[in-house]
This record gives sequence, C-alpha cells and structure tokens, in this order.
Amino acid sequence: MALGERNRGLGSVVWLALFATAPSEADDGGLTVLSWGGAYERAQQAALFTPYTDATGTRIEVAQYDGGLEGVRRAVTEGEVPWDLIDMTRSEAMAACAEGLLEPLSPALLAPAPDGTPPEEDFLPDSFGRCAITHSIFATVVAYRRDAFPGTRPDSIGDLFDRQRFPGPRALQRTPAVNLEWALLSYRVPHEELYDLLSTRRGLDLALARLDELDEIRWWEAGDTPPQLLAEGEVVMASGYNGRFFDAMVNRGVPIDIIWDGQVQEHETWVIPHGAPNPEAARDFLRFATTTERLADLSRHIPYGPARRSAAVRVTTHPDSGVDMRLHIPTHPLNAERALAKDEAWYARTLERIHDYFRAWLAKREEQ
Amino acid sequence: MDALPECPASGRGPLAVVRFLGLVLLGATVGAVAALFAVAFVSLVLALNDLLMISPRSRMMFDHAGLLLAATIAVPTLGGLVVGVLHRAIPERRPHAPADVIAAVQTRRGRLPARAGGLSALSALVSLGAGASVGQYGPLVHLGATLGSLGARLLRLGRSDDNITIACGVAAAIATAFNAPLAGIVFAHEVVLRHYALRAFAPVAAAALVGYVIATNVLQRGALFHVADTAVPRPWEFVAFLAIGGLGALVAGAYMHTILGITRLAGTLPIAAALRPALAGALLGLTALWVPDILGMGQETLRFATIAGAFGSAELLLVLVLKIAATGLCLGMGFSGGVFSPALVIGTLFGALCGSLIGQLSGAPQETFVFYAVCGMVAVTSPVIGAPLTSLLIVFELTGSYALTTAALASVTLASPIAAQLFGRSLFDMQLELRGLDLSAGRGRTVLRTTPVAEHLTDDCVTLDPQTPVAEGVTALCRARHGEGYLVDAQGRYRGCVSLADLVAAREAAAGPACVGGVSTLARPVLQPDTSLWDAMAMLQDVNGEALPVVDVTADDAFRGVVFESSIARAYLARSDELSREEHGTG
Repeated sequence: MALGERNRGLGSVVWLALFATAPSEADDGGLTVLSWGGAYERAQQAALFTPYTDATGTRIEVAQYDGGLEGVRRAVTEGEVPWDLIDMTRSEAMAACAEGLLEPLSPALLAPAPDGTPPEEDFLPDSFGRCAITHSIFATVVAYRRDAFPGTRPDSIGDLFDRQRFPGPRALQRTPAVNLEWALLSYRVPHEELYDLLSTRRGLDLALARLDELDEIRWWEAGDTPPQLLAEGEVVMASGYNGRFFDAMVNRGVPIDIIWDGQVQEHETWVIPHGAPNPEAARDFLRFATTTERLADLSRHIPYGPARRSAAVRVTTHPDSGVDMRLHIPTHPLNAERALAKDEAWYARTLERIHDYFRAWLAKREEQ
Repeated sequence: MDALPECPASGRGPLAVVRFLGLVLLGATVGAVAALFAVAFVSLVLALNDLLMISPRSRMMFDHAGLLLAATIAVPTLGGLVVGVLHRAIPERRPHAPADVIAAVQTRRGRLPARAGGLSALSALVSLGAGASVGQYGPLVHLGATLGSLGARLLRLGRSDDNITIACGVAAAIATAFNAPLAGIVFAHEVVLRHYALRAFAPVAAAALVGYVIATNVLQRGALFHVADTAVPRPWEFVAFLAIGGLGALVAGAYMHTILGITRLAGTLPIAAALRPALAGALLGLTALWVPDILGMGQETLRFATIAGAFGSAELLLVLVLKIAATGLCLGMGFSGGVFSPALVIGTLFGALCGSLIGQLSGAPQETFVFYAVCGMVAVTSPVIGAPLTSLLIVFELTGSYALTTAALASVTLASPIAAQLFGRSLFDMQLELRGLDLSAGRGRTVLRTTPVAEHLTDDCVTLDPQTPVAEGVTALCRARHGEGYLVDAQGRYRGCVSLADLVAAREAAAGPACVGGVSTLARPVLQPDTSLWDAMAMLQDVNGEALPVVDVTADDAFRGVVFESSIARAYLARSDELSREEHGTG
C-alpha cells in the first residue's frame, strides 16, 4: 500500500509526481486515473476499474501518484493535463481547489443509495467539497503488541502516555499533527474543544509536556516503519495508518491490535483536474465508483471506510483471508465512536508555526 | 372602591383544566421560541468571536503578529463604542439584565419592555462578540424572559400569567444554554419566581424540556467537566471542600463588590456615559496582550483550570485577580452582559488554586483535582446568582457524577449562608437594593411596597378653607355625613385635619375661634402620592380616624385627596389574596 508513503502535507517535504505510464491512450476513449499504486491500486483495480471496463467497455489506465500538487500544478499551467481523475487527500484537494487547479463537482452527479436515500444524506458529513467528493476514509491510529502487557490491554488513547501501566518504547510520527491531538486528549478534554485549546500557548505546552513524559520515543517518517518496529519488537506501541497495521496483522500475522479510541480520520477524495481530456467520461466513472455497491466492494479489499453509510453496512469479508472487514474499517460504528476529525482548515493556516514550535521542542528534547 | 375579590369559583372543573393545559402549551411555545433565540445568540457570539479574532482558534489561525496586536486592542474598544451608542436608545441608559426580570416578577409588575429587551440583547451580543469579559447566560435569561412576557401580552393575559411566561422563558434559556433542563426549572423558581406553585411548575417544566430537546438537537457542545471514573475523594477532602465553600463566599463577595464599586466609580468619571465602555474595552485589550486568558467568556481558561498542571499556583492567582478586575471593569463601565460565566471562570480558578496548594502540602496525587475546581466554581457562582440548588444541578446534569455533586454540595453548604449574611442574597438583589427595591423580606412585602397607595385616592371628602366660619364648617361636614374635614387654603395647600367633634366644641365655646383655621387640628400622618401600601398600613397602626390625606410635598404641599382606611385595609387583603392564589392555587 502506497498510501502511507506519501507526504502528509508537511512544509519541509519536496513534492514529487512520478508518472508510470505515458498518458497517450487518453484520446481513444479510455480514462487515465492518477492513483497511489501498491495494494491500494490493486484493490481499486478489483473493485472499481475492472468492473467499470466490464460494464462500459471503457479502458482505464492508472498513473502512479505520490501526493503533492507540484505535478498537477505544472500540468494545468502548461495546458497538458494527462489525467481524467485524481485520487487525492481532502486537504490537498482543498488547496488545489483554492488554486483553481480542479473542476467544480456537484453532489448532484452521484447516485442515490439502493433504498433511494439521496447522496446528501447517505454520505458522511463534510464529504462534499467544492471540487472534491470523498469516497473513503482512512485513519491514523495507535497499535500495540498483544504480548507486551500481560494481563491487561490498552484501550484508550490516554494509555499511549501511561508508562506505569504500559511500559516500553513507543514509535511516533515525527510531526506535530496527531501527536499533539492525542497528547491533549489524554487530559480528557472533549473532542469539540481540542483545536480551540491547541490554539493557546497553554494547550500546546500541556500537549508537549505529556509527550515529554515518554522517555523513549522512536520517531518514524515512512509509513511502513511503525508496523515493522512493532513486528521486530523494537517498540510496544506505535502510531501509524490503519491500512498498514491491517496488512501486518492479517497478511503477515504480526501479533498487534489497534486502539481505535482517538483515531484521526482523513478523507480520500476523487477530483477532476482542470483541463482533463475526458471530463464527462470522468464524471461517469466517478458516479460508478461511488455507488454503494462499489464502495462496499472496495472496503472488502482494503480496510478504508466507505464514505457512504449505506456502503458501510454492506461491507463483508476480505476475499483472500476471509477476515470480517467491518471490524477493521475506521468508520465502523464500534471503531468510530471516539474518532477525531482532523481540523484541516486549522492546519492549513497554522502549519508553519506549529511545526516550528514542535521542532524547537524536539531539538531541546534531543539535546538532553 | 374595589370589592374584595370573591373566592375563585373556577379553581376546579373541566374548564379550569383546559385553561391550565393552555398555559402549559403556552409555556412550551415560549420555551421553543426562547430556546431558538438562545441557540441563535450563542452561535452568533461564537461566529463573532471567530470573525473578530477573539477566540484563540481564530487568533492562532491569523498569521500576522502586528495586526493581531492591533485587533486585540481595537476590537474591544470599538465594540465598547457600539455598546455605548446602543445604550443611549434605552430609557434607563443601561442594559436590562436578570435583575430587571426579578424585579418585574417580585413586584408582580411583569410586562418587560420589548424594545429595551431587544436592544439589551443586541448590545450583549456586541459586548460578547467583541471579547468583553462578561457572561452570556444573563443576556439569555433576560431575552427569554422578555419573549415570555411578550407572549403573555400578545394573548392579553393577566399579571399572574405574565409572571409564569417570564419564568418559562428563563427556564428555557438556561435549559438550552447549559443543556440542563432540571437546572433551568430550578433556576426559574429559585431566582426569578422565588416561590413554588404547581400552577407555575408545569408550564416552566414544559418550557425547559422543549429548550433541552432543541439544545440537544442543534447545539452540540462538550460537557463543561470531565471526571475520571475511578477517582473518589478521601473523607478528609470533604473538609477541604467545606473550607473552599467558606473562602469561595469571600471571593464571590470581592467579585460582586468590584462590579458594584466600579459601577459607582464610573458614574463619577468625567467621561460621557456612551464612551465609558470603549475606555473599558481599550484597557481590557491592553491587559489581554499580557494575559490573553481574560478576554471573552473564557471557555478555554475554564477548561484548563480543571486540568492539574495547566497553570502554576502564582499564575492561577494572577489570572483570578485579573479576571475579577476585567469583569468588574467591563460591567461597571457599561458593557452589557452577564455575571455568571466570569463567575464560573473565577470560581474554577479559585478551586484550582486551592487544589494545587493542597496538592503541594499533602503531596497527594492529583486525581481529585477536578473536584477542587468544581467546588470552587459552585462556591463562587452560587452566592453571585443566589442559587445554590441551580449550581448543584448544573454540576449534576453536566457531569452525571454523583461523587462530584456531593463534593459541590459540601462546598455550597458553607458558601451560600456566609455570602448571604455578609453580602446579600445575590448580586441581583444587591443591585436592586441600590435602585431602592428591597427584596429581602419576601415577595409579599415587595408587592405591598411597590403598590402606590394613591391608586385608592378619592376626593369624596370635605375640604374647608381655613377662613371658613366654624358654624359653616359644622354644617358642611354634617351635610356630607363626614366626621373629618381637611383644611386647604386658597393656594390649594394642606393645612391640617379637623374633626366634627372639635368644630362643634369650638362653636359651643364662648371664646372659641371664629373660623375653622383656628380650631386645633388632629395629629394625622399624611401620605405622599408615591407612598406604598406597605407604609400606609404601617401608619394606620397609630391612627384612629376615617381617612389619610394625600399631600404632594414636591408641589408645595398641594392637597390631592384622601385615602380611606377601609380602602387601605381592603387593598392590603386583595394583594395578599392575589399572591396566595398565585403561590398556592392550582388552576
């Protein structure tokens, strides 16, 4: 799965777009989709692309995307956009939309649920942006080694910081995002007020004080590191992407479990770039790919939550392992009860300063 | 002269049931309207705080230090200017507040003015939106009460029903704002109605319930406090909670006297009243550059104060003192807003201060820190609004924690009586007393004290010019079948009261005076046009006669007429009867 590999919207990272295939087939009526590759692309292939080709005869080419807006920006300014559709995170879609790189999209083009529920009621809140439509939801979560704490199990996000009951090293992402949220949540502040409190110096200090209580933190940057550190027993708890942990758990049999409390959800959306070769066909595909049936099928292949409520209740088992996928998707009612919605507008405006603040703290911590 | 009302025949029976149900329905309707207004008000305040860079979130998201600094001073200053101008359009030149609601109900006057109420709500919205250190619940209570009173007036209901709909609006506002229906009902009874009657309870309960339903569906807010499930205070800690209650009463007293003191002081400042809020806003903004915690309602400060370690002890004391000063400044200089939200913050800071000091002294782990914060909170808020039960219920409904409510009970047990003895029943009562309305002896006396006796004025009496010959005076009194005459001179001035017996004696005496002006007058107290029924009753204790003259000392002792003793007694009984029917009747 490539999803974890991409840049998570951080200022310090160099944007890169790699194109695996030349988009020359676009003119013969086929569609070119820019997506994330790996297991994610394989799941899309099985649940979306192949069924679409079977139903309509339209071929679908997939180009490799590693996040970022640089490539899209260049293609749009040069007037040579090779893709009809892009699978983008919502935060990047919001930025791209603001820059005018994307076509506006109306929820009116979406299909109703099988029972006739209109899309506006069927999709999860905030699924429709001006230029983007959410199709799946993934989460950053904490996973722990089942064998690390005999006789007890962590089940709340506060346990990440409880060294008395759950001793051992942790692996955390080397970013302020998610870590600050969890640290402040461990003081039992309500989710609704989290970003209000993080907006004060006092809130930031409290959060970092909590992180300071952890004596041994392994900082990770690449998405495949945390499951690996857990598998090797280097750490007893680690933050990471739920798809990665699922892969380690189900496909590689690593003895880990996920703490769903405090999971930070992010949206994965479909967008159509400005100047796409076949915008009408792209809309047709978008309608097909976001039907209840297709979204439910996609979640059987990869543990991302469908953006539609009607699809979430139709998710069944993993086609290869037979694992019940409902328990592994972030939006399942059991898992989603204490989920945290990342405040992307807040991050868009404060990223730079929060980052400086975090880096300064990190430098001070590493000095000691 | 009005007859003593008959015992109400419609107290029981099907018609009374329908009427009563109608009142409950009206209560629910008032509740719905008040709740919707409350939701709109709260949302608008939040939106304004974001827009005007008062909320920490908007301040954090605004990446320009210089402009932010300028806005921190400019926004409260300009807000104060707008508030000052708005208040010029209110007859009393000040915002209406819960004290006015209490006065209207306690005097059975009812009929809250809609225009002044609307303007006060608007100026409160501006005050809160611009970051003044004031509360939002007071304006919500007054807005709800005004809407309730308006409803009663539109349906042409009597004063009794007007009072009930006022209470309905109040209950709905509290139920909506706190998401706490029981607290809403109890607040309306404890603070506004100050008596318990089934007739009022049902409509008020309906209003609170509707408010609660609307709040849970529209306003989604985090609970004020969170408590670790496992933490239970040790027995000795209850002694600490009691002590916090006692000390909290003193903090509440300091808070209330700061507000009243600055209000008094503001009146002597050589600045136009309309400009005073702007001055307060500028001072507030300047101080906020140093300690931003004092800006606005202080939701974030309140939250941090319940977290152990978020503030150092010295910092708690500093913010506590500055918050008291900032609130006193804002309210005293004429910003519009409530006293409850700042009291919540001040009390919680005070409780946190006690908690961290005790933690340092005893070395105990801070699992029960939130208990101290909440005890401090109720110890300060309950004396300020004069509502111990409401404070407890707010804690109970917001936390659902019995342990926390019990701790709060310990604190309030000492806080309420101490504050009541030292300062008064509540800040509202203290404000009303300064305006000349003493509620300390209960509603019955307040009603009698605010009913002017001149309502029963009559000119069915004999007035005599002092120059009138005595014999003519006797004839005039006999013709009119009165035993007393009132001497009124050519300028209309009252000169005294003479009895028929004295006139006859003067006529019979050999060397008696020639005119009635020479006859000795009776020792008879006089009433002013604004003398209250209560004072008139008190005068009657020493009078044995027919009637008391009403004389206007402000118009050179002009004689206005008389009030018969029997009228005073009858009015007294009628008022008492109205009250007892309102407070003890069922339908």
